[in-house]
Amino acid sequence: MASNDLMVGLEIGTSKICVVVGESRPDGTIKVLGVGQAPSRGVRKGEIVDFETAMKCVHEAIVDAEQKSDVMIRSVYVAVAGSHIQSFNNRGCVMLPEDRDEIDEQDIEDVKINAREVSIPAQNAFLHSIIQHYHVDGQDGVLNPIGMLGQKLEADFHIIHGVRTRIQNTIRCVKELPLEVEDVVFSALASAQVVLTQHQKSLGALVVDIGGGTTDYILYVDGAVKQSGVLAVGGDHITNDISMGLRIPMTRAEKLKIEEGSVTLGNCLPGETILLKDDSGFAGKEIERETLNTIIHLRLRESFELLKRQLQEESFIDYTGAGMFITGGCSQLSGIDHLAEEIFEMPVHIAHAQTMSGLTSAFENPQFSTAIGLIKYAQAVQSDRPRGRLGQIFSKFFSGMR
Amino acid sequence: MIQLSHNYSLPQREEENIPIKIVGVGGAGSNALDRIVLDGMEKADLIAINTDVQSLAGSVAAHKVQLGRTITRGLGTGGDPDLGYQAALESADEIRPALADARMIFICTGLGGGTGSGAAPVVAQLAREAGALVIVFATLPFSFEGKRRAVQAQEALGRLSEIANAVICFDNDRMGDMVAPKAGIHQAFAVADVMISQSVRSIVNLIQRPGLIRIGFDDLLSALRSQNGRCLFGFGESDSDNRAHDALSQALKSPLMDKGRILAEAANVLVQVAGGPGMTLSEVEILMQELGRHVRDNTQILFGTAVDGRMGNRLSVTILSSIAMEDEGATGLTSAVPLPETAPASLASPPPAIAAPIWEQQEVSAEVAVEIPPAEDEEVEAPAEDLIPSQDPVPLEAPIEAPPEIAKPLPSPRLIVPKKKPPVVKEPLLPGDKVVQAKQEVMQFEPITRGRFEKSEPTIVEGQDLDVPTYLRKNVRVK
Repeated sequence: MASNDLMVGLEIGTSKICVVVGESRPDGTIKVLGVGQAPSRGVRKGEIVDFETAMKCVHEAIVDAEQKSDVMIRSVYVAVAGSHIQSFNNRGCVMLPEDRDEIDEQDIEDVKINAREVSIPAQNAFLHSIIQHYHVDGQDGVLNPIGMLGQKLEADFHIIHGVRTRIQNTIRCVKELPLEVEDVVFSALASAQVVLTQHQKSLGALVVDIGGGTTDYILYVDGAVKQSGVLAVGGDHITNDISMGLRIPMTRAEKLKIEEGSVTLGNCLPGETILLKDDSGFAGKEIERETLNTIIHLRLRESFELLKRQLQEESFIDYTGAGMFITGGCSQLSGIDHLAEEIFEMPVHIAHAQTMSGLTSAFENPQFSTAIGLIKYAQAVQSDRPRGRLGQIFSKFFSGMR
Repeated sequence: MIQLSHNYSLPQREEENIPIKIVGVGGAGSNALDRIVLDGMEKADLIAINTDVQSLAGSVAAHKVQLGRTITRGLGTGGDPDLGYQAALESADEIRPALADARMIFICTGLGGGTGSGAAPVVAQLAREAGALVIVFATLPFSFEGKRRAVQAQEALGRLSEIANAVICFDNDRMGDMVAPKAGIHQAFAVADVMISQSVRSIVNLIQRPGLIRIGFDDLLSALRSQNGRCLFGFGESDSDNRAHDALSQALKSPLMDKGRILAEAANVLVQVAGGPGMTLSEVEILMQELGRHVRDNTQILFGTAVDGRMGNRLSVTILSSIAMEDEGATGLTSAVPLPETAPASLASPPPAIAAPIWEQQEVSAEVAVEIPPAEDEEVEAPAEDLIPSQDPVPLEAPIEAPPEIAKPLPSPRLIVPKKKPPVVKEPLLPGDKVVQAKQEVMQFEPITRGRFEKSEPTIVEGQDLDVPTYLRKNVRVK
């Protein structure tokens, strides 16, 4: 097996670190060979706060994945999240020289550089510039202008950027192991690769990945990324709320959330209680189910409402024909889809990775969407790589990404 | 923050010695004064002014002035502001020397009663005449004290804000919210005193502490002396690992700040960061960056920083600001909510066209008020009835008929009443239990618990700290 075909996705999450090893098949599909994971420590809200500890956890996860998939991992694709990640849409424009009117790869490259010539905060770095559409001499909706005739080439990009040092922290954490970092990818972008089909992207879809520490979202309209971002609220917050509201330890709160938690209100008998068994250092407790659900409901409702307001700053949310796709660990909370439907007023699906073969148990778990998505992303990048010139890589890469 | 040691770590920078006087007017005023003394304030002269001899005798202030020796004969005013007013006029000659030679005078008073509402404006007036910068800390009565007191308080507040350079107003109802429901009533009353004490001390420190980037009298003036006196004040102190952040969030949690949301409307914001020798540049940077999220781009930030050996490893943030005029209309609405009693005062609803001249009129009246007093020197001995029209700004306006009616509700926006109800109720839950312990030390607004996110960078979206459980912020009872 050529190492080129082996792809590894690493997600350093707030609650767990997961590594997915995948293999690209000649027919373009991906086979998941193995999944390694380790509980995460030293990560808060998607960002590393304790470097040493986080590194150990990443190492554990990598070793686990190596054992399970029986391969040697040398390089990985890393997902990044965190509240520092921001995005905006910008249009780049280049004029072709007088003596030439055929658009070539270099022009595509130039227009991309031009689109990046906007001021982002000094400490920020570009993470992705994703092409939305080209315009040639005012003609809209051109998908691939190479070879077309024109004088003026414009391109709309969705630009995702984040604080340079924080992104570098993640990279350093992996490099110290030592592993190569092939690329860093915004986690929602990765998730969307496997959660959505090409058809859903063109219909328009919103992917919301509710993980442990952050809620990442990305919105596709007409097959192009229009909006993306991070809300630094996730499952951890729900657990924290439960822990504080019911006055139980975090670990019990987490377990309770997973085993008994629901978003739906008014669905249980009046006075229905859950008995928490006593444990070492914890005297058992009886709690009301409705209380638990109320805490979860309020938190998620608030998060969704915040998200909706953020999305409504632009009008794209109205064009999501395929609806909303919730993935990530929190999507397993019962009733979350109904709540989202009520707030976003669109069809909501609980989604996990599609179009994969191999370990089905892995990709059917929404917790792994991002890590598997990284492989899909990697495949899109790698399949374009042998084709040669730099410009082409980018153009194909971005069209592959749509 | 009881400061006993005087060995300054940076002797090369002399403390600017600005003579400061702190005046407590009325019963609530002397309570606040007592609290200030207890908390330690050696840099200022404290003056208690009251009609009630008994209360005056109990005060710990060094300097005491009894009002209305002949009018009230050592008793209180029985809640009648007119009596308080006349008593203050009678004793003007005693008050004046007490206030002399100060560049800055803080007046602490509780509005609503007789002495506070009646005498405080007179004292403020005399303080202005003495040439000092006058900052008034006023508390508004609890709403259960009755509408009449609320109306009296509003009127006095209107008067004060015309006279004083700045009025910082604490709503007792709001203070009550900060105390746990089962806490003793004395605690509820004490919270306002503690707040006042803290505010006074931090402003005094702000001015007198030797600074690397010094905030002086001039900066304070420009922060407060915009053409409007609606003041915001926040103070936070912390010695935790994440002290820059904690101190700032405490400062923003001040009931006057409404979580920093109000700051967005401010034109000038004065910020002083003070810490021990261990304070690092990056801490200040972090703090200012965080603060930057709360203010507009065109807001002028008057920034000062000071290193003070006595601070140890604590770091404190003081934020002081006043709000731009155009916002007052909006906030006026909200201030009317807790005190609908203002409405009767302005029965003749003002035609909007008149609104513009009123501001001018107000300014004029303030000036007139300053100019008139020389005449009043001779008149003090004259029968009090003659005095009333000539001295106090409000009676002065009375003959102008309609405008003063309008003028009264207008200054009411200076009332710093929280804008939204939710945060009002959200804070009390937790800080409440801590108030008791705070009685010994500096009262600080305990940050709402954030559980496991305590140490992490806060997630502030739309002015809400999302790390705080939603049910707490929305004040949903879960038990």
